[in-house]
Amino acid sequence: MTTHWKIASRAFASSCLCLALLQPVAAQRHDVDVAVVVHPDTPISNLSLSDVRKVFLGDRQYWSTNIPVVLLIRAPVARERDVVLKIIYQMSESQFKQYWIAKIFRAEAATAPKVVYSNDMANQLVTAIPGAIAFIDSKDVKPGSKVVRVDGRLPGEAGYPLR
Amino acid sequence: MGSRWLLLLLFSLTTSALLAQSSPPSAPTELTVQSLLDRIQRLESRINQLEDHERKQEAALAGTPAAPVTTQAVVTAPVPAPAATQARAESPAEEHASMGEIRDTERRFPSLQIRGFGDVDFSATDQKGSVSGFNLGQFVLHFASPLSEKVSYFGEVSFTAQPTGYDLSVERTIIRYDYNDYFKLSFGKYHTPIGYWNAAFHHGAWLQTTIARPEMIKFGGTFIPTHFVGVEAEGNIPSGGLGLGYNVGLGNGRSSLLSKSGDSGDSNDNRSWVANLYARPARFYGLQLGASVYRDKLTPLPGKNFGEWITAADVVWTKEKPEFLAEYANVHHRDELTANTWDSQAFYVQLAYRLPWQQSKWKPYYRFEYIHKPENDPTLVDVLDLSGSTLGVRYDITNYAAFKGEYRNSRHGVNEPRVNGAFFQTAFTF
Repeated sequence: MTTHWKIASRAFASSCLCLALLQPVAAQRHDVDVAVVVHPDTPISNLSLSDVRKVFLGDRQYWSTNIPVVLLIRAPVARERDVVLKIIYQMSESQFKQYWIAKIFRAEAATAPKVVYSNDMANQLVTAIPGAIAFIDSKDVKPGSKVVRVDGRLPGEAGYPLR
Repeated sequence: MGSRWLLLLLFSLTTSALLAQSSPPSAPTELTVQSLLDRIQRLESRINQLEDHERKQEAALAGTPAAPVTTQAVVTAPVPAPAATQARAESPAEEHASMGEIRDTERRFPSLQIRGFGDVDFSATDQKGSVSGFNLGQFVLHFASPLSEKVSYFGEVSFTAQPTGYDLSVERTIIRYDYNDYFKLSFGKYHTPIGYWNAAFHHGAWLQTTIARPEMIKFGGTFIPTHFVGVEAEGNIPSGGLGLGYNVGLGNGRSSLLSKSGDSGDSNDNRSWVANLYARPARFYGLQLGASVYRDKLTPLPGKNFGEWITAADVVWTKEKPEFLAEYANVHHRDELTANTWDSQAFYVQLAYRLPWQQSKWKPYYRFEYIHKPENDPTLVDVLDLSGSTLGVRYDITNYAAFKGEYRNSRHGVNEPRVNGAFFQTAFTF
């Protein structure tokens, strides 16, 4: 009985240790910042959060006279989309859909944001389509991508607003 | 010894269970499960497409190395998160896939999008002589089609039920050239940019919170010209956080039938013009402030000319928690023969709130509206004084259909009795 108790105690201690070690990993998954990535030729490197909002609301549609903004947004359920809806649009999923229907048929925008189904796809499209802008989990941003500072901060820096 | 291993196994299982519970997923609603299933289905079909595409590419290239995605120079910005700088191994298949995706997302011209709107209504009032019953609202088709990177077309037609059939009407038809965000020039028929509602909510009751538009800007009314045929310039004004924008238009103005715009030509040689200035301050996301001026010369009958000045102001908070809309307009008329003048005023205030429960489907609202017109104004003969309240609720059945119920209490005209009414509507887009 004593031996069994010792083994049980050791196993319990090991389990607690494992839990303690894994806890930060689980928490880190939810704290990863969402990077704002643009096409390399886009003539901006810093945007305020309200500028990002203006772009994603379709109120700013051109980076410059000849470079239209092309919005890329993850499909529903993706964490990046949740962050965008919560922080940028401050809308629910249905409000977001209604917003873009109204926007297009008010003749204020010609097209809605293009939907991307993975961060890989977002990475590929944002480097291939001139004027494209996308939100990508910062750990999935491809090296060489052009990451825009938001309110002067890059993902991972203290005070970065998109997480 | 066996029992030790049994204990270890038991604790391992317990640990696994605890770990699994350490980051619990949010409670899966039916909607989330369905959207996940939809997403899996989409991804599976996409994988199939990509695999087919890859097979075709490999067959076509027969050993030729895959082309790079882009040859453009890439500006590198450092990402402090260490994970972000880790190179991700990419197989040629991923690059092939991206080329397919790029082709899928290329803009094609023209690319017509059509959206329909409809509504079915029921009304019952205690007004003498009124008949309760159902009626079909407007059946509306909206068209949007980019013709090139810089040129777009927008159109809107409505079918309105009449006792003898359906009235077909072209409500908007606009071709627009976008030079940049600061200057967009368009030609066609618009909803006149006076105030907020008229240019924000078009035909299609699903777009607006309430069942009906405020009386001052109702379609078919004469208080404010709801349509405008001509040319319009619009855009943002560089103003930093103030978020200024403008619309400036020159057009035919009202036809001899004042509720109609001059679609087939002007009723006189005088063009109307409209200017609208608005601000969407970045600091107060959801707030919009606007002011408008409209100038026209009315010729309701040959030889009878009236100058018309309309000034309007609006304040709106477009987020739905709460939603606040308020507009005021003054319509000034001057008889060019006698120099007599008349001023009519109208306003409405609407407050709504999207309730957080039941997936935010409920949105109660209240609106007060008021119109005053001098009795002897010879132009706005169809307009009656109004003082009325509307109390209602909107329930969004799905993302694309809503049910609305309203109680209205209003007085139309001077010294007339107040009328109570119940109104119901199901409005949808498809």
